[in-house]
Amino acid sequence: MAAESVAVEVAAAAASAAGLKAVGAGLAVGLAGVGSGLGEMGIGAAAMGAVAENKDMFGLALLFTVLPETIVIFGLVVALLLMFQ
Amino acid sequence: MFQPESMSRLLIVASKQQLEPVITELYRMNIFHIDDYVEKGDGEWEGFRIGMPLAGADVTSAALVKIRSIASAFGISKDTVSDAERSSINVLKQRIEQDLPAIAEEVEKLLAKKTKYESMVKEYEQRIEALRPFIDAPAPLELLQGYDTISFIAGNVKSPVSLSVPCEIWEKQLKSGYFVILAVKNSDVSTVERELLDFQIQKIQIPTETGSASQVIHEYELKIEGLKKEIADLERQMGTIRDKHEFFLMSSEEFLSGDVEQAEAPLRFATSEHAFAVTGWVPTSKVTKVFENLDKACAGKVYVSELEVEDYNEMPPVEYHNPDFAHPTQLFMDLYSRPRYTEVDPTLLMAILFPIMFGLILGDVGYGVILLIMSMGLRSFVKGSEAGNQLITVLRNCSISSIIFGLAFSEIFGFSLPWQPIWLSRHINMGGAAHGAATEAAAHGMEASVEHVSHIPQLLVISIWIGILHITLGRIWGARNAAKMDHGHHRTLKIYANIGWILVMWGILVLIWSNFPIPMMPDFSQLPALVAGLNPAMIAGAVMLILGLVFIARENVLDLMEVPTIISHVLSYTRLIAVGLSSVAIAMVTNFIAIDMIISPQLKLLSPIGIILVIVGIVVFLFGHALNTALGILGGGLHPLRLHYVEFFTKFYRGGGKKYTPFGMIRKLTKQTD
Repeated sequence: MAAESVAVEVAAAAASAAGLKAVGAGLAVGLAGVGSGLGEMGIGAAAMGAVAENKDMFGLALLFTVLPETIVIFGLVVALLLMFQ
Repeated sequence: MFQPESMSRLLIVASKQQLEPVITELYRMNIFHIDDYVEKGDGEWEGFRIGMPLAGADVTSAALVKIRSIASAFGISKDTVSDAERSSINVLKQRIEQDLPAIAEEVEKLLAKKTKYESMVKEYEQRIEALRPFIDAPAPLELLQGYDTISFIAGNVKSPVSLSVPCEIWEKQLKSGYFVILAVKNSDVSTVERELLDFQIQKIQIPTETGSASQVIHEYELKIEGLKKEIADLERQMGTIRDKHEFFLMSSEEFLSGDVEQAEAPLRFATSEHAFAVTGWVPTSKVTKVFENLDKACAGKVYVSELEVEDYNEMPPVEYHNPDFAHPTQLFMDLYSRPRYTEVDPTLLMAILFPIMFGLILGDVGYGVILLIMSMGLRSFVKGSEAGNQLITVLRNCSISSIIFGLAFSEIFGFSLPWQPIWLSRHINMGGAAHGAATEAAAHGMEASVEHVSHIPQLLVISIWIGILHITLGRIWGARNAAKMDHGHHRTLKIYANIGWILVMWGILVLIWSNFPIPMMPDFSQLPALVAGLNPAMIAGAVMLILGLVFIARENVLDLMEVPTIISHVLSYTRLIAVGLSSVAIAMVTNFIAIDMIISPQLKLLSPIGIILVIVGIVVFLFGHALNTALGILGGGLHPLRLHYVEFFTKFYRGGGKKYTPFGMIRKLTKQTD
């Protein structure tokens, strides 16, 4: 009886640990995505303006726009490590 | 390799009698990049002025303007004309003199007529608009004007009108408000107008027509119809002329624009009273050709010499010098900025690495095949556009790389192919998929735990290795560019700074390796401690780090702020795997929803509703994979591009080179000579 309940408890603890891992992974990607989005918002608008004025700016504008994107990649990597390691 | 085409600077001097043959010959060769002569400033030669255009330039320009206006009226361009045949120049010259004026006159006449008719149509349409409110008016239009004692006012109001003076009101309800026609005594007009302001009236002019409005509208509509027929007839006539003369017009446009360019070339030359001189750039491999051809064209009466170039920085125009397969990638280089003459041209490396990175991200046979078919299908759409063609070629290379990586990863639309992934797998444990794979692997006597079915940490480490090597190469090229392009003390500092960045990066790496064992990376943590619990690797790493920081600080102390970017830039390369895994995940989720959740339960128990659900499942499947293909192109294309632009180029690339634009033209529709 006692052994059985301990086994159930251990299983429940393992399940909740896995669940928390999944929640953590979700938060990592989601929050990092929100952050990147906020960062890219202003840059993207300004970059569009610059490209509209001068088409040669395209390369540089793209470069600046994608700069904050690294953050979401970090989030994604953290999530992957959480889920698969 | 990794260098732009080598250029030589030539000086051509001759007497003015040789001006025309020299220009014609240079134009024919199409390899001489003219340095425009500037009268003021450093480039000025005493006694030399900018030349005058050749005789006949104005006549040619006039003819060219005529042809271009006809072409724009017809909406034809060089690209729309078939270039199957070419006109001979003598015939063209003759026809330009004989036929062109007649054609131009006819087209002008037709165009003038067409514009006239079109403006008439517009006017009638405006009149119809003005008449429309009066369709239901109680009296014919001629009765609403022309009285000595009574005035009529018409307009739209917000609410029904009631006035303090005697008047006759006719109202019609509209969607919002009313349309009214008022008849008032002339003496009351000003009072009425003031009172009407309270009803927010928008006055409408009563049209000066006779008969009922609907009758008049009908008449105008008939007239418009007639005019439109006339216009269509004119367009047909113009179409016949266009079809007949299209080729002649475009080939003479080509011929004349070449002529005008040649006639105006002296504006870029330096001329004295009896002689002219011009400097320019020619690819070094073609210098002897220029010498020989000019000598022949002028029967030896020309002096050509190769000039010494002291400072190559920025001056020569830049032409790429790459093997054929790397040509499409030049598009990405021009998008960023053309390299300078003396710096490293990374096009070749990018041409190799870009498709590999794309394949790492979108390594899936199914998507690869779709993209390959797309690149073949799109080819005919971009006909004539060089950039479009280059882009399509890049897409084709990327899709082939995607197929190769797909075969290695054993992936097709998120399913696995009938073999185990070669070396590393990125199959995700979704819906227990990895458990199935593990069981299968166990059946084949291989490592059987779920952890061994996917190798995500290992893949991430590989992507980091790519980053480390890529960035190290960037810094090495940075040092090389500094050595070649900078001068004096600054040059030394810059070279050391680049070495410093490499030292800092590898120092940090050695420190990490000496403390933590990481898969697929050297492990120094087991080395015996030397002093104070520090092992030799730790000491070496610390020395490299500090030495590197000193080198960086010597060039610019503020650059030390940028040191953390070493880590973020290296880690940024993990996107190669992370973005790829997200596309694997989307594919697997699509398959799971479409097949496991919708289609297969229905197939077990077939019912009429079940069949509809199966169709829904198929739609979900197609939609999901279409979306993932689009995301794959975006993710697979933009991320490698960004890794090159942001993480790689910022280490060494300067850009801002002048484009090599040789004097001449590639003829499509005319023969070079007769």
